[in-house]
Amino acid sequence: MPGRWNREGDRSARETQILGWILVVPAMAAVGALILYPLVKGFQQSIQSGGILFGELPGYVGTRNYRDVLNDPTSRDAMRHTLEYVLLAVSLELVLGIFVAVTLHRVFRGRGFVLAVLILPWALPSVVSGVLWRRVFDPDNGLLNSVLLHLHIINQPQVWLASGRGAIIYITLVHVWGVLPLISLIFLAGLQSVPDEVYSASAVDGAGPWRQFRYITLPLLRPSMAIALTVGTLLAISIFDEIYVLNGTALNTRSILIQVYNTTFVEADFAHGTALAFVLAAVTAVLGGFYALALRRSTV
Amino acid sequence: MTTTLGMRVLKALAVTLIVVWSLAPIVLGVTTSLSTQREVNEGPSHWFPHHPTTQAYRALIGGTTGEHSGGTVTQRGEFVQSMWVSAELALLSAGLTLVVATMAAYAFGRLRFRFGGFLLALLVGTMVVPIFVVVIALFKLMANAHLIDTKKGLVLVFVATLTPLATWLLYTQVREMPAEPEEAALIDGCRRWQAFVRVVIPQMSSGIAAVAAILALSVWGEFLIPLLLTQTQNAKPVTVLITEYVGKYTTNYPILAAGGVLALIPPALLALALNKRITGMLAGS
Repeated sequence: MPGRWNREGDRSARETQILGWILVVPAMAAVGALILYPLVKGFQQSIQSGGILFGELPGYVGTRNYRDVLNDPTSRDAMRHTLEYVLLAVSLELVLGIFVAVTLHRVFRGRGFVLAVLILPWALPSVVSGVLWRRVFDPDNGLLNSVLLHLHIINQPQVWLASGRGAIIYITLVHVWGVLPLISLIFLAGLQSVPDEVYSASAVDGAGPWRQFRYITLPLLRPSMAIALTVGTLLAISIFDEIYVLNGTALNTRSILIQVYNTTFVEADFAHGTALAFVLAAVTAVLGGFYALALRRSTV
Repeated sequence: MTTTLGMRVLKALAVTLIVVWSLAPIVLGVTTSLSTQREVNEGPSHWFPHHPTTQAYRALIGGTTGEHSGGTVTQRGEFVQSMWVSAELALLSAGLTLVVATMAAYAFGRLRFRFGGFLLALLVGTMVVPIFVVVIALFKLMANAHLIDTKKGLVLVFVATLTPLATWLLYTQVREMPAEPEEAALIDGCRRWQAFVRVVIPQMSSGIAAVAAILALSVWGEFLIPLLLTQTQNAKPVTVLITEYVGKYTTNYPILAAGGVLALIPPALLALALNKRITGMLAGS
């Protein structure tokens, strides 16, 4: 009798093995063929010369393309811009996200409606966000110009998207508009895990709203903050759509990804484009690793 | 907790601010789309059209005639065609990804098989691979396979790029679900795959719906991948077409806004219809 049970068990274990493999094969095949394989191909591209198009023989050039893009002033500007996008976007998202979460945390009439409206900007294509905001910044008769002229804050129309630092701020604003819902939801979920008794107990002890926020809410939001920080960074570091729609490939607002696009597809320089893309990929992968760590720490 | 009147007013203000911030650009898009090009260009610019007109929508769908286009040229029928392409891409990619990811999520979550842990780590690890690195190399591979500028090619790429996230979201759901129903079915003599199809998939249905919506929304919003992998109207989704309406020197804002408004209706409806499930899934990830 025990022998038969074992055989049964073996049979079912083997069945599990086979079924497991069958079920994961499609996913692994898709990712292997269309992500991992091109990734390796792309890396090969990045350590080879640009080829006949650039008047040289195709062949292995080691880290030359990487050194080129790291020394190229336009690429360096793009890196500086990207850093500015990231810092600005992430700080805005953290502050505004906590503000939204704290506001919408408690139950009130119409909360369901507000939550539904809140996620709309996230659901829309970022291209559409850019389209919706574009008229605001139009240099001739944009709404920002009309309002500021009307209020006599400026006395002639400004070309908002042409000025260096300013243009980056406006584009970041449009980006934040689309990402803030996601960040707010992360903080909202963090707040839901705080039991209400903590607040009532502290109120009994005489803590006002500010002290409650400072000494209870903020410390308890720390795990959510790590997640929000990483999600915000990963989304901002690969900013592309909003810039493309609002200001095209103009030099003053180029992010790394716009520069990659321009190098690869406008200048047809695959070798340097891929190298720059891999520089960004390396940074993103490191940040992604932090994300995984933060996620693990917050769920354990 | 005592709520003072001051706090209540402050809260009402904050809630109003959030609603206005979220809706204002959309409302502005709608009012712009109902204006005429002249009304938009005249200084001072009008926020709301004095004489609302559907002229921009007609020009968008029926095509512009050179003189009135103001920097923007549209061809008759191309916008509607691109909306269909976007819908087709979203439905096909989301559907296929769901099939692939549900199977994988169940296997990783419930079955013990050799290298299972390693494969899961590999799959989830690809989530940090920025997609543009892959797309540049894919461009050449797809050109060789004659998949550039085809819907088929785009669907393949979307399935591959979305599978890791979808698998991860569904995997966490499988891990949180009670295993008893499946165990009961196994004891009743069900084979493992039967238990998966008849018991586990119905159990996962609410998670699958939320992930389906998130996938469809993200495909609808894709821009960079189709920008690089399409050339003609054949497979051009609406996001790519809209950016072509931005003129080099002047832009016809009513037409551009009309395109934006029409392109935001499907995702907005989907997000509103499934908003509880989507918010739950997003907050959990």
